[in-house]
Amino acid sequence: MLFRICIISFTILFYSCKTSEVSTLSSTSTDKFSITFQPTFGIEKLILNQKYPINEIDSLEINVLRFYISNFEFYNHNKLIHKVLNSHHLIDLEDEKSLEINLETIQNQPFNKIKCHLGIDSTTNVSGAFGGDLDPTKGMYWTWQSGYINFKLEGKSELCPTRNNQFQYHLGGYQSPFYALQTLEFDLNNSAEMKINIDVQAILKNIDLANKHSIMSPSDNAVKLAKVVAKNFEIKNAH
Amino acid sequence: MKKLLFFLSILLLTAFHQSDNNPFYIPKKWKKPTYDFTKNPLSIAKINLGKALFYDPILSRDNTVSCTTCHSQYNAFTHVDHSLSHGIDDKIGTRNSPALMNLAWQPIFMWDGSINHLDMQALAPISHPNEMGETIENVVFKLQKSAIYPTAFHTAFGDSAITGEHTLKAISQFLLTLVSANSKYDKVIRKEAKFTKQEKNGYKLFKTNCSTCHQEPLFTNHQFENNGLPIDTTLNDFGRMNITKKPKDARKFKVPTLRNIEFSYPYMHDGRFKKIREVLNHYTKDIEHSPTLSEHLQQPIILTSNEKIDLTAFLLTLSDKEFLFNPAYSYPKGFFDK
Repeated sequence: MLFRICIISFTILFYSCKTSEVSTLSSTSTDKFSITFQPTFGIEKLILNQKYPINEIDSLEINVLRFYISNFEFYNHNKLIHKVLNSHHLIDLEDEKSLEINLETIQNQPFNKIKCHLGIDSTTNVSGAFGGDLDPTKGMYWTWQSGYINFKLEGKSELCPTRNNQFQYHLGGYQSPFYALQTLEFDLNNSAEMKINIDVQAILKNIDLANKHSIMSPSDNAVKLAKVVAKNFEIKNAH
Repeated sequence: MKKLLFFLSILLLTAFHQSDNNPFYIPKKWKKPTYDFTKNPLSIAKINLGKALFYDPILSRDNTVSCTTCHSQYNAFTHVDHSLSHGIDDKIGTRNSPALMNLAWQPIFMWDGSINHLDMQALAPISHPNEMGETIENVVFKLQKSAIYPTAFHTAFGDSAITGEHTLKAISQFLLTLVSANSKYDKVIRKEAKFTKQEKNGYKLFKTNCSTCHQEPLFTNHQFENNGLPIDTTLNDFGRMNITKKPKDARKFKVPTLRNIEFSYPYMHDGRFKKIREVLNHYTKDIEHSPTLSEHLQQPIILTSNEKIDLTAFLLTLSDKEFLFNPAYSYPKGFFDK
């Protein structure tokens, strides 16, 4: 027992030394890279709680758009050059600041592709409580069944025969066959920033609002919709 | 440097040993706990904070229901005498609350395994409309406003800004200390006591008929099994299948520990049996065959009435009075008097 505790404390001390070393190294020799998410409704900037017409009669509004982006990987001609470990970012349209992520990359190391996850991987899902953006108070954790909600889209439309005409899509699930995590890939033409469009109109075109107004648990439908959502994260060629 | 580290380790160790407030230990010959202590290292301050949270109805919407409402120490931390546990506004749930002990060794939680980690367990009762009817966001808000908690969180985590993570980890710390391994059975295994003739025979019967699922020393194999209970049509609870959505998991529920069974009645996921006698009668004559019935129950279990008495005598040796009456687990009056 004594021996075991010694080992554990050694390990903790060792690891804490190690991580601090890495961070001091990286802070002196890094480049900055920024990612900005730009949710849209078609070609318009998406504004929460604003009505958008969807046909001659009906309209809809979005009340919540919130999702996790995690585990960035940087590639140069398909060779992995840099990984950002344990990076989980909650993007919330309600919080303007959260739409921009600032990362550090290796100095003078060009890259032309970025991969990241839309959602939270299964290992993190089974590893207990975390703080920061992963804190369960962020409203992105299911309480009746363990697991993070990767992507949340809520709104209202006359098409929905529900209370207050609400629709709610909470996509998550970390266990096969309902593993909802998606990998996003972006090809880049510069190594300083990228802007990502998320077209909510294009996402909703795949959903029959009158019949499928809620997804609230890990399921086949959640995985299918997660794939649709991922396809509608597109890099914006602004320059 | 190494010497210093070693010295620090010793300090850490003695700090644990000098305190009566940290009853966590790994009993002799038990396997390594499932819980990853490196992600939430135990400390007296955190355990005490977790204990206060466990006893504090602040976790519920109207401050009436605490964890201990359904998990009281004298009943091996379960809700005695209620087949289905009740919570806020006298609402009644659909399951019998489980007894809490030896949770550091438990890989999955709830009768249907819906919860995958001890840290996340408390979120379920806090948020359930029939249990505490609250949200973790609002619990954290209330704790931040309280007169005692910011200081207690600061002492425990070095940070008075209370978070969901720290709240849940503190609760885990207290739950991890609930180690029950001092029953007569344990003492017999350690050769500190002897079974009576009846208990000895009961132990033999137990090993032949029950121990595949109720494996020693935890008295559970942490698997999900259909133990042949007829479906209660007022509940239509299909257990594990509700989570996995796989028909092969229909009617399966987590195998519960038998430790402190004398105090954790009523029995089964819906608390349908009040007496151990009824449980034994179920296994010997009332098993309902269905496609997902446990493979271990395919053959009938045959026990004479004398054998049932002996088996019961053995099951009573799993009562751990030191656990049930350990003052380290009881209401932390001092904490709230501050």
